[in-house]
Amino acid sequence: MTIPDAAGAHESVIEVTGLTKRYRDAVAVQDVSFSIRKDTIYGLLGRNGAGKTTVMSILTAQNFATSGEVRVFGEHPYENARVLRRMCFVRESQRYPDDAKPIHAFATAKLFFPNWDQDLADRLIADFRLPVRTRIKKLSRGQLSAVGVIIGLASRAEVTFFDEPYLGLDAVARQIFYDRLLEDYTEHPRTVILSSHLIDEVSNLIERVLVIDRGRIIMDAATDDVRDQATAIVGDAAAVDAFVAGREVLHRESLGRVASVTVAGALSAEERSRLTAAGLEIGPVSLQQLIVRTTQHADEADAAASDARITTKGGPR
Amino acid sequence: MNRVGNVVRMQLVNKQTFIWVPLLVLGGTLAVTLLIWAMLPPEAVKYGGGAQAPMWYFFAVGIMGMTQTFPFSQAMSVTRREFFLGSLLTASLTSAILTAIFVIGGFIEKATNGWGVNGYFFYLDWIWSAGAVIAAAVILFMTMTFFVTGFAIATIYKRFGPTVLTIILVGLGLLLVGALWLIGRLNAWGQVFGWIVTQGPQGLAVGLLIALVALSGIGYGLLRRATP
Amino acid sequence: MIEEGKALFLQIAESVEDSIVDGSLPEQTQAPSTNELAAFYRINPATAAKGVTMLVDKGVLYKRRGIGMFVAPGARESLLAERRAAFRERYLTPLLAEARKLGLGTEDLAQLLREHAQTTTTEGTQ
Repeated sequence: MTIPDAAGAHESVIEVTGLTKRYRDAVAVQDVSFSIRKDTIYGLLGRNGAGKTTVMSILTAQNFATSGEVRVFGEHPYENARVLRRMCFVRESQRYPDDAKPIHAFATAKLFFPNWDQDLADRLIADFRLPVRTRIKKLSRGQLSAVGVIIGLASRAEVTFFDEPYLGLDAVARQIFYDRLLEDYTEHPRTVILSSHLIDEVSNLIERVLVIDRGRIIMDAATDDVRDQATAIVGDAAAVDAFVAGREVLHRESLGRVASVTVAGALSAEERSRLTAAGLEIGPVSLQQLIVRTTQHADEADAAASDARITTKGGPR
Repeated sequence: MNRVGNVVRMQLVNKQTFIWVPLLVLGGTLAVTLLIWAMLPPEAVKYGGGAQAPMWYFFAVGIMGMTQTFPFSQAMSVTRREFFLGSLLTASLTSAILTAIFVIGGFIEKATNGWGVNGYFFYLDWIWSAGAVIAAAVILFMTMTFFVTGFAIATIYKRFGPTVLTIILVGLGLLLVGALWLIGRLNAWGQVFGWIVTQGPQGLAVGLLIALVALSGIGYGLLRRATP
Repeated sequence: MIEEGKALFLQIAESVEDSIVDGSLPEQTQAPSTNELAAFYRINPATAAKGVTMLVDKGVLYKRRGIGMFVAPGARESLLAERRAAFRERYLTPLLAEARKLGLGTEDLAQLLREHAQTTTTEGTQ
């Protein structure tokens, strides 16, 4: 099935090639390459410590690569005001000047972001019920996140990063953020990169998915294409196992005689009718489940490969 | 308005740090000093050491500038160069204000014979011996040097951690002690003092300027690879 | 409304088709815009656009320059035909599988259908 392209040729605003970041005792980012398309919402997904914040820091020249190339709007971002002023990155653990209040932070953001929209900021302040004259260091975790979210949204920067922006925000506030993001993106399209480990919550917002696991990109695809990558088959365990014979199994769960097996790939129409005839059902595979299972699968494969290396080397086994 | 100018505005958004507190510190120290002098015999010539207090505060501002405002400036998509220049400019402006107060204070003290009680807070003979302009230069450069030193120290701390910083400070301390010992050993105190006197406050001003420029260079160099 | 496991843009397309089939979106009327769909379902406008583009490619919607997307003439008929063809696959096969599980034969099913049809008609006229 061909999936129609909404846009024509894709213009990329960020190009990353062979990016590696090594610390003294660990590799945070390992030979990562991807490109970010203009005016697209990306989900940068991965576990804590997978390398999401490191990648975003390097793209905004807040951190430095050990090797590899980064190009933003075709240029190096390092010490490049022309490029940097078109980007916005408020990190998850952002520090603010002592004694600063949100109102100071927003006044400053207004100075530096050429597209800053004060009306939008004011509306968001009301939406999040943010006390703008309370010192930032006295704000709750959720209120602190709200400050970052407001700066990110109201900056209307051409490339905006949101680093786990929802920490401390309750479900209502999170929904407000998603809604406002979509609204503003619809009216003022821009490139948004949203890092999250709450994959299902953001799955309807993101057009493309970048999954990073232990410093490597393990998925770079359109969200819709990813959803097609697995199917869950549920029913009588024996029937299920018979049906999935020969297919790559991502995950298996069972409760009594009922089993739920997630297999790679989608089912053809013919397979679907065979499935129904066998009294089986197709269960939902959420994006989160799919990505989590793919990640686990990749981790297991990695572990098996290194075990194999140890065995073949005649090592301690 | 250009971006360096905006960094100045950013630093001054919360007026406390760069304007009110140094003035408060100065005002407070002056008030306390005057009170103490009021209780002492008026004929004795008294020198207040409290005038340094705001300068030490600038040292603290230099540190805070690096530890708190720098990470925030990165979130504002400001380059390190813009941040450094803007912060230096802000410190210069507020140092200039402080210097102006000192110079005016000095004139007042000269005119009133030390507030009528022979007490000298702003007017230190030696620094003023070459005129008000040199005195102003000394005060300005000294205040700025305090700022830039605080900034450089904080940058070292941020990039290399407390151990390296301690090693550097201890090392510098050892060098200083070593130099003093050497002077004593060579019985050169007389020569050293003589040289200092001949240099005069002009020499001090020049020396401070050199230190200021050197420390600024070091601070900027370290900043270029600092992460928020 | 939005179910997991099925491409979002397909679900959007299907829901538009549903309203065409049940008559709430008549032919030659304006279909909801991409942005309206995106806002309603709280999804990325690009995804909604994909769904709309698919319907245009399929001939269900057409574009009137400067105005928007409209339901093509004959769309309802062709959708009905498509769904009738799929009816067997979509509804009969699972129905028969379940009936088999419950031990209901073809005659039992036919009986159930007739009984059900009667009750609904009586309810319908009340």
